[in-house]
Amino acid sequence: MSTEEVPLSRFLTPWKLQRCAQVGRGVLVLGRVWVRGKGKVKLGDGVVLDGRFQPIELHALEPTAEIVLGDDVWLDGGVSIEAVVSVRVGARTRIGTFAKVIDNHFHPLLGNRHARPPSLPVTIGEDADIAPRAILLAGAQIGDGGSVGPAAVITRRTIVPPGRTARGMPAVVA
Amino acid sequence: MTGSQPTLTSEVGKVFSLLIRNRAAAWDRVRRGIGVVRARVQLRGCSLGPRVNVLGSVRVVAHGAVRIGERVNFWEGTIPQEIVCEEGATLTIGGSTVFNYGVSIRAKSAVTIGARCMFGSLVILHDSNRAKTAPITIGNDVWVAHGVIIEPGVTIGEGSVVGAGSVVTEDVPPYSLAAGNPARSTPLAEDERRPKAS
Repeated sequence: MSTEEVPLSRFLTPWKLQRCAQVGRGVLVLGRVWVRGKGKVKLGDGVVLDGRFQPIELHALEPTAEIVLGDDVWLDGGVSIEAVVSVRVGARTRIGTFAKVIDNHFHPLLGNRHARPPSLPVTIGEDADIAPRAILLAGAQIGDGGSVGPAAVITRRTIVPPGRTARGMPAVVA
Repeated sequence: MTGSQPTLTSEVGKVFSLLIRNRAAAWDRVRRGIGVVRARVQLRGCSLGPRVNVLGSVRVVAHGAVRIGERVNFWEGTIPQEIVCEEGATLTIGGSTVFNYGVSIRAKSAVTIGARCMFGSLVILHDSNRAKTAPITIGNDVWVAHGVIIEPGVTIGEGSVVGAGSVVTEDVPPYSLAAGNPARSTPLAEDERRPKAS
C-alpha cells in the first residue's frame, strides 16, 4: 500500500505518538492511533501504523505492561493490541485489519467473572503474517515466519512453529 | 450499593472528598457522571433505566421499542457501538449488562438480552439476514467474547460462555461453553458456574 499521498502524516507522527515510551527512527502513523493505559508502548525503527480505515488501539493497561513492536512492523486499521503483562511483535511482521491481540482473558470461566485471571505473555516472531480478523488470545506463540489465517483464533494451546500456518476456529496448524 | 439512596448532594460531596484523597478515583466518578448524561442524550427515544452509562459514543436508530435496564454500560473504544431497532421490533437489555466497543445490535423482530451479561468488542447480534428473520434470546449472566457473530433465531441459555471469534448458528444450552465456527457447545463443570451472588 502506498504511503506517499499523505505527506503531513510524517509531520504529525511525533504528536500522535506522544504517549509512547520509545519511538524508533522513521516511524509513520497514518490516520488515527489510540495509545492508552499506564504501561509502556515501544516502537522500533520504520514502524507503520495505518489507521486510515479504522483507528488502531495500543492499550497497555497496567504500569508494568509492555507492548513492543519490532522494526518495520506494519499494523493495518482496526488492529487492537491490549497488554496486561507483555505483547511482543517481531521485526517485519504484518498484522491485518481488525486483528486482536490480548495477553489476558479479562474474565475467568470459573468463579467471579469480574476478577481478572492471570496473564500469559504473547510473542509473535519475526516475518510473521497475521491475517485480518485473527484473534490471538493469552499465551499465543507464533514462530518466526509463521502465519495465521483470516479470522483464526489462536489460544495458548495452539503452537504455531516457525514457517507454519494456522487456520480456522478452533485453529489447526497446516 | 449499601446505605441510603444516593442524592445529588451526597454524590457531589463524595466527589469532593475523593478529590482530596484520590484524584484518579474522583476523575473516574466524574467521567461516569458525564456518561450518565451522555446516555440520556445519545439514547434518546429508548426507555432507559436508572444510571445507564455511555462512556464513548453509540449510534442509535430507535424506531421500535428499545428498553434498556438499569446500570447498563456502553464502554468507549476505537469503534462506536450500534443499536438499530426497526419499526414493530423490540429490543430489551437487562440490568448491569456491559457492552465493549464496536458491538452491533440490529433488531427486525426481537432481540432480548438478560441481566449481567458481558459483550466483548465487535460482537454482531443481527436477528435478520437475507434468508431468515427470527428473534435472538440471550439469558442472564452470559459472557460473549470478542468478535462473536450470533445468527438469527439463536437462544443462548443462562450462564453460558461464547468463546472469542465464534459463529453461533444453533441454540446454546444453559451453563455451557460454545466455541468454534460453527460453534459447538460443551457443558461447563458444576464448579465453573458463576455464583449467583457477586
